[in-house]
Order: sequence, then C-alpha cells, then structure tokens
Amino acid sequence: MKDKIYTNFVKRWEEVTDLPPQTLGPFTSSYKDLVHGVKSMPVPVYAAFGLVIAFGLLYFFGERISFLVSLLQKGF
Amino acid sequence: MDILFDTCIQFVSSVFGSISKPYESMRGVVKRSRLLELVPMFCFVLLYVGVASIVKIQEFRPFFLTGQFITLVFWIALSFGLSVLILWCMGKNIGGRGTLQSFAVSWGYTLVPTLVWFFVTSLLYVLLPPPRTSGFLGIGFSLVYLCFSAAVFLWKGTLVYLSLRFGMRLTLPKIFLVLTVFLPVMSIYSVLMYQFGIFRVPFL
Repeated sequence: MKDKIYTNFVKRWEEVTDLPPQTLGPFTSSYKDLVHGVKSMPVPVYAAFGLVIAFGLLYFFGERISFLVSLLQKGF
Repeated sequence: MDILFDTCIQFVSSVFGSISKPYESMRGVVKRSRLLELVPMFCFVLLYVGVASIVKIQEFRPFFLTGQFITLVFWIALSFGLSVLILWCMGKNIGGRGTLQSFAVSWGYTLVPTLVWFFVTSLLYVLLPPPRTSGFLGIGFSLVYLCFSAAVFLWKGTLVYLSLRFGMRLTLPKIFLVLTVFLPVMSIYSVLMYQFGIFRVPFL
C-alpha cells in the first residue's frame, strides 16, 4: 500500500516538475472545474456538448439543418 | 517485426486512451516521442483515402482512382507538415519548449478524430446518401449527425490543446495566442483547398 502511494507520488512529482500545473490567476479554480470533466472519461461531456450544439443549430436554423447536414455529408 | 507489433499495440492503446483518459494518454505519447507511432496512423490515412477515392469516383476506373488517391495523400501529408511547422515555429517564438519530434508525434494523434469523422461521413455517404429531407426522419438523422460531429470536434479540440500543452509545454494564454494566428492561416489554406477541389472540409 505504502509502495503504491509512494510510486504515485513520485509519478505526480515528475509530472509537476516537468510541466507546472496550469494557472490562470483568479480564473484558476474555474479552469480546474472546467477541465475536471475532461481529464477522465470525457465521453459524456462530449456527448452533452454535441447535444447542445445540435439542438442549438436546430433552434437557429429550424428545418434548414437538413440542408446543412447534406452539405457536411458531401464534405469528405 | 516485434518493434512494429509493439508500436501498433502502443498506438491502439493511445487512441483508446485519448478517448477515456486524454491527459494521461497524451502525456505518455509525448514522453515516448516515438515517430514510429505515426506509421499505423499513416496506414489508416491511406486506408481512408482509398475508401474516399472509391466513394468519390464511384466507378472502377484505375487511372482516376490512382490520381485521386495520390492527390489526397499528397495534400493530407502537406497539411500535416505545414500545421506542425507553423505551430512549432510559433510555439518556439513565444517560449515553447520540447522537440519537433515530440510535437509532431503528439500532433499526429490529433488526426485521429479527423480520421474518425471522415471515415464515418464517407460510410454514411454510401449508406444514407444526401440530400436529407425536412421530414421527421431527415431532421432526426441530421440531429444525430450534428451531435456526433460536434462531439468529435470537441474531442479534436481537447487533443489539439493537449498536444500544444504537453508537446511544446505552452500555457493556456500562449496556446490561445498560437491558435489565434494558426487558425486564420489554416482558414485561408482551407479556402484554397476548396477552390482547388481537393477538400470541402479540410483534413487537418
């Protein structure tokens, strides 16, 4: 148990000395909150973002999103 | 042979890691900085270009297929090289650390979401060819497709950020600065590619 804690500590120490944690002055805590959801298993965050964008576009463009998607589908 | 197999395993593991644990995975990619890891990526790009050429030409005419294939591979390779060089030069100018090799490898992984989007779009082009209708099914599919595209775009954004963060040791304000210059340059480049008829959506 102690060995594992020590190994994790050394690993984290190496990371911090290699690249100091991101700081943004007064916005540091907001930044940390924001990236917290992306650090481990961010798929739900991506899906939620996708849903917001998709419904946002539906709200703005209405039925015309089918035209937008047709354009995107020809975009490869 | 063992090295290649090991590299492929490492690549697959890093790709899945970039979905489940992007920070840890990209940190590992930069730490290893193995150019060989770009080989499987390049093979997947070749596979995609092969599929895209067939879907675009839509008939078995070897001359046109080969021409399309070579054109796409050339422009994808050029886009990748150009992106890496511009970002690396800019990052270095504003105090970025790290090697070109480590940055190039980490930037290579940012092509994974791009490749996924292009693959899925090509397959959907065959399975459910456009145009979409304004009916219930058309709008429903449009919502699913846009949701998928936006999610992949955010995944791409995360990997771009991590590539610059770990590959060049840049802080968030410096990353914004680099992207503020990089994105307009790439927009102009994308418009040129569109006008040449190479990509409607840029493969970056």
